Amino acid sequence: MAKLQLTDVQHVYPNGHRGLRDINLSIEPGEFITLVGPSGSGKTTLLRTIAGFLQPSNGMVDIGGTRVADDKSWVGPERRDLGMVFQEHAVWPHLTVFQNVAYPLQRKRVAKTAITRQVADVLEEVGLSEHAQQKPAALSGGQRQRVALARAIVSKPQALLLDEALSALDEPLRARLRQQLRRLTQDEGLTTVHVTHDRTEALALADRVVVLNGGRIVQDAPPAEILANPANSFVAAFMSDAAVLQGSWAAGRFYPDNRNLHIADDAVVSHPEEQTSAVRCRTTVAPEDIRLETFRGNGPADRTVGTVTSVLAGRFGTEISVDWDGGTFDVYAPVGALVPKTSDRVVIHIDRMHVFEDSALTAHGAYA
Amino acid sequence: MIDTKPTPGEVASETSNPVIPASVSPTPTPRWHQRINGTDGLRLLRVAVLLGLAGVVVVPIVATIVMGSRADFAVLLTDPAVYDATRNSLVSSAVSALAATALGVGFAVVFERFRFSGQNLLRWFLLIPFLIPPFIGAMSWMALLGVNGPANQLLSQLGIDHTFSIFGGTGVIFLLTIHSYPIAYLVISAAIRQVPGNLEEAARMSGASNWTVLRTVTLPLIRPGMTAAFMLTFVSSLSDFGIPALIGLPERYTTLTTLVYRQLSSPSSSNPLPEVSAISMVLMAVALVALLAQRGRAQSTQIIASASTRHYQTGVLGFVAMVLTWLWVIVVSILPLLALASQALLPAPGVPLTLENITLDNIITAVTSPTAVTGIQNSVMLAAGAAVITAILGLGVALLLARSNHPVNPSIDVVANLPQALPGLVIAVGWLLVAPALGIFNTPVVILVAYVMAFLALVVQQLRGPLASVSATLEEAATISGASRLRAIIGVTGRIVAPVVVTGAVMVFLTAVRELTISILLVAPGSQTLGVAIFNLQQAGNYNAASALALIVAIVGIAGLSITAAVTSKRQGK
Repeated sequence: MAKLQLTDVQHVYPNGHRGLRDINLSIEPGEFITLVGPSGSGKTTLLRTIAGFLQPSNGMVDIGGTRVADDKSWVGPERRDLGMVFQEHAVWPHLTVFQNVAYPLQRKRVAKTAITRQVADVLEEVGLSEHAQQKPAALSGGQRQRVALARAIVSKPQALLLDEALSALDEPLRARLRQQLRRLTQDEGLTTVHVTHDRTEALALADRVVVLNGGRIVQDAPPAEILANPANSFVAAFMSDAAVLQGSWAAGRFYPDNRNLHIADDAVVSHPEEQTSAVRCRTTVAPEDIRLETFRGNGPADRTVGTVTSVLAGRFGTEISVDWDGGTFDVYAPVGALVPKTSDRVVIHIDRMHVFEDSALTAHGAYA
Repeated sequence: MIDTKPTPGEVASETSNPVIPASVSPTPTPRWHQRINGTDGLRLLRVAVLLGLAGVVVVPIVATIVMGSRADFAVLLTDPAVYDATRNSLVSSAVSALAATALGVGFAVVFERFRFSGQNLLRWFLLIPFLIPPFIGAMSWMALLGVNGPANQLLSQLGIDHTFSIFGGTGVIFLLTIHSYPIAYLVISAAIRQVPGNLEEAARMSGASNWTVLRTVTLPLIRPGMTAAFMLTFVSSLSDFGIPALIGLPERYTTLTTLVYRQLSSPSSSNPLPEVSAISMVLMAVALVALLAQRGRAQSTQIIASASTRHYQTGVLGFVAMVLTWLWVIVVSILPLLALASQALLPAPGVPLTLENITLDNIITAVTSPTAVTGIQNSVMLAAGAAVITAILGLGVALLLARSNHPVNPSIDVVANLPQALPGLVIAVGWLLVAPALGIFNTPVVILVAYVMAFLALVVQQLRGPLASVSATLEEAATISGASRLRAIIGVTGRIVAPVVVTGAVMVFLTAVRELTISILLVAPGSQTLGVAIFNLQQAGNYNAASALALIVAIVGIAGLSITAAVTSKRQGK
């Protein structure tokens, strides 16, 4: 189990597109990292740079204290001692399950008896012992993905790379494999880098979540921190489906551009540093941080009132869309909370919101 | 395979057929009325196509089988000439197909896994032997390696006392290989492009070098492609006439095709038709087995995953591969054509190639000679006729296969595509048997229908993909708007795929205009084609005139097919 270290990594594609900018990332031995971001954000480019399929234009990559890429040196993927699981499993159709899993050991010239034992062990671990002699065509999608996982970990690699490893699977199976993956990597103490576009999966699995946008790391923090204190409005919008509103910040108060929005002063949990003049801001409001109350016509005027446009019930609560004069809020009502009906008039209470200075945002690149 | 389904008479008698179960109702139903009234014009099209296919494909094959079974097999099997020819055919085809497949794998890896500049130009040069007819390829090599050819002159100038000879079994195998490897390359590179890139990346991550990935992952995965390439090149070599005739016969190296040619053209032998038909049947059987073996394999191991090409990052090796490939195309594609050109431009064999000696007289004389004029006229007429007929019949077949779901469809599919797998010799012999009964013996018409049979599949296969991609809802929209089914299919879908039909017809024209095997077996006084004219000039030792005509055919063929391919790929790119 090794430490992965990326220092000032840049990647420019032949067509001039900048895939990665100023990537500094350090992954401790045994840590589980997820890379998330919209498509084109550079998460796959970053993973392929670690794997050795892409050579960084600048910067250094170290695996387990060994320099594998910089200006002068370059170590190919076959000599980096990593395991990788691909989105479409990439299990070789012409080999049996056993032969697939034995392949990395054969490349390391491990003795035959040791190969038999180690392959049997890892197949046992992923629950495929009885399928060892079958061809992949005879297996289900989930079983094939477990073959790919077994193949990736059988030679005890320095780190495990997962490229959308669960994305091709259907939901109940995916959740089960997610648990299995987490347990396996914890038991083995595997350093793991997991690329996914599934935010729930990213938050559920990771010790640390690295959010990428426009080829840059925009936030690198534990899951709870990402949700509680997003680094900017992009992270809030992307990770929590937060609504983004424009306004200005002056004298310790947020003034929304839309005068129909009313916000309690104590709702703001983070804001820009105080400045002498007003600054342009964006605020983000996550669906969990909004409460709805039935509108009864009377009461104070400085309230935000909206109309419910859709109500979607789920297992852990209800997703409600509310139109108001300035746009739409997505609201998340946990089980047991008040659930209005479509076309009900409701009062919108914002409990928590983050205010980000606009200039800070532009420094972090474009919006998704 | 042999299918003589509804002729109009049978259609009429269908209602009173006692075999039809009662539930279908023996009395006319509304649906039946509909068909009678022609609302479902598809039925009309089906009958027309079935009649066309029966006449053009089924009849000659049946005739061959009937006549072939009359042969005295005891005599045939003990005839040493037949034995030798069979052995030579099988050995030359198998060895050349093996070599062509190996070359195909090598070039496919070079072009699909390395990146270097000038790749498209190099690929075009690599495919040139595929763009010129084998007998003209053989003539080029004879020009290059002839006793007074440039290669042997160079050897003697270097003081090496050795004379190259292209003639004989080795030469036949070599030339068959040269003319088959481009097909093998095309089939195998298509297979390599189907290999998902992540299967190779997974092997790299598992610690395999590029070479190990190729050996343990890529090559095993394209094994079906290699089998297909072997079978295709095997059958096409088995059926070739020009190469064994020009290169093999001078050294008494006889193959089945040249044996049949000799038997049919020697007036001494007693009725050769039963024996020739029997040989034809054997070739047909071999071709069918090869076709079925290849189809079965292709279906059993299909790789289902998204493909994405990955290139090796090996600069030096890529450079070496590029240089070697350039050397190959210079020797195999460029030098023989230059030798042919120099022969065409010189007044007589053996005259040194200098600027003063170069003359266009040969070409002018050759082109204006009565033989050539007749040959060119006949070939252009016959090829154009074949192009038009295959276009119409091919479109009918393809539309039926794509747009209807009738039990007879699989038979139509097989019958329409079968002749492509059959050696030209088999097709010619079939028509040789049928022609007298139809009163077209010794007329150009028999060559025309044989061309139609041989090249129909070119149009059908061109249309398969484009038709599948035209949504049937477009026709349904036309039907809803009041068009009959047939009108909707022809007026909407037929019009959309019309450019593809034209491409197919152009390909048929370009192939037929240079055809030799069928033409030479069916030729009659006055119906001599261009290929036959060139072949006879060459056989008569008139190398300069033959080369002049061959050069024109080669250039027109290379240019025509390259332009057609470019137009096709541009259209597919859209």
